[in-house]
Amino acid sequence: MWQWFFRLGSPKWFYELSGRWLPWLVVAMTVLLTIGIVWALLFVPADYQQGDTIRIMYVHVPVASISLACFPLMAVAGVITLVWKMKLADMVAKCAAPIGAWFTAVALATGAIWGQPIWGTWWAWDARLTSMLIQFFLLIGVIALRSAIESPDAAARACALLSVVGAINVPIIKYSVEWWNTLHQPASSFSMAEDSPFGPEIWVPLVIMIFAVYLFFVISLILSTRTEILVRERRSQWVVDLVAADKTQGA
Amino acid sequence: MFENLAFSSVTEFLQMGKYTFHVWSVYGLFAVFVTVNLYLPRAAHRQFIREQKRRALRDAQTAQPIEADEGRPDANGGE
Amino acid sequence: MKPHRRKKLTIIAFIATGLSVAIGLSLYALSNSIDLFFTPTQVAAGEVMNGQRIRVGGMVKEGSVVRSQDSLHVEFMATDYSHDLLIRYDGILPDLFREGQGVVAEGMMANGSFEASRVLAKHDENYMSVEVKAALDAAERDRALPAAETEGAADGS
Repeated sequence: MWQWFFRLGSPKWFYELSGRWLPWLVVAMTVLLTIGIVWALLFVPADYQQGDTIRIMYVHVPVASISLACFPLMAVAGVITLVWKMKLADMVAKCAAPIGAWFTAVALATGAIWGQPIWGTWWAWDARLTSMLIQFFLLIGVIALRSAIESPDAAARACALLSVVGAINVPIIKYSVEWWNTLHQPASSFSMAEDSPFGPEIWVPLVIMIFAVYLFFVISLILSTRTEILVRERRSQWVVDLVAADKTQGA
Repeated sequence: MFENLAFSSVTEFLQMGKYTFHVWSVYGLFAVFVTVNLYLPRAAHRQFIREQKRRALRDAQTAQPIEADEGRPDANGGE
Repeated sequence: MKPHRRKKLTIIAFIATGLSVAIGLSLYALSNSIDLFFTPTQVAAGEVMNGQRIRVGGMVKEGSVVRSQDSLHVEFMATDYSHDLLIRYDGILPDLFREGQGVVAEGMMANGSFEASRVLAKHDENYMSVEVKAALDAAERDRALPAAETEGAADGS
């Protein structure tokens, strides 16, 4: 029963499988991203109160919500690293940290640009914004921890533990707008009705953008994990063969 | 489809109401973010293969000079 | 699962639960300072001292905004629907400052009213186009007004 689990843990198997999937993922992302951006910029009606700044939502919300996926992913990978010592899990965790830091930083930056005209301030120390900033520093901490510890195994274990701990921050970010009073508004609830707040003309392009940005996260993670696999497995025969067979790069 | 456009002219579209800076800087930032995060891992991948090829070539030359022509001269032409 | 793996998994689960409980309790204890603002009810209950720099949040009461003719001075009532608080402010209001919208004011209590040094607008989670908003408002009016007056409105359109 556990066979698929350990096969999944084989870096070679993952490298080959992801290589076959990548082109399709890239095609899907490009199509969704194009539709989403054109729709958001050209066809979404201006909001009755905040006008064209509503278009910022189609970047801010997908990036911010997917940035929350990073720590749970790293925590699961961390548990697998600690308990089963699976090499691939640690590679994914290592690559996810900088990508997650990027997502968090872009979410904070786009939020600030949106907040400036709408709230009247770039920044407020409310629970949502502060917990998001904490996530950013936790991710920087994970990256720094890994480079500070010389032994790769010890670094993997330390980062895995920090990831499990850091994942506790995710529900805090998610529910901060409900548990405390904040400047940030609570999450919108989708409505199917045409004539209602947050109706389909507003949320359909948002859902498209969320899928597109999710694909972007996955693609970017797969790309850096593939490189990480090659670097760590460079002495194994299959990587040597792969390098020898590669005709695209002159030596 | 085009009757649903939110803008009636290109200038109006570029202007984004009174939020020209806010809307376009967010989309600009997003474009940089996507490009960088797709480009960097690809560049690292290429860099790795280039380095490994160079190393393999060097190892082959020092260890077994006879088989050194494994690394074909045309593979060498890149630099 | 092998025993030593089960043991490791248990240890991780214990660490994670322990930390979650610890963090949860401290957040609960700090709840008041994590809140961004006081509500008018809290102010009315005397939780705030005169001259203490605080933030107050609520909805801008409909019809309460009074703007000065010759300066940026503005006065309005912030309400949480059980208590009202008069807020005075000199300065530029954010774009989203409207009657019936959320607002957060920074400043201090003085003689029963609130002297704000900064006013921020709170946005709600509703997004809609001008047309949808107009349709919703029209539907609201139709329900509220007697039949005679709605006929008059229909003539106008």
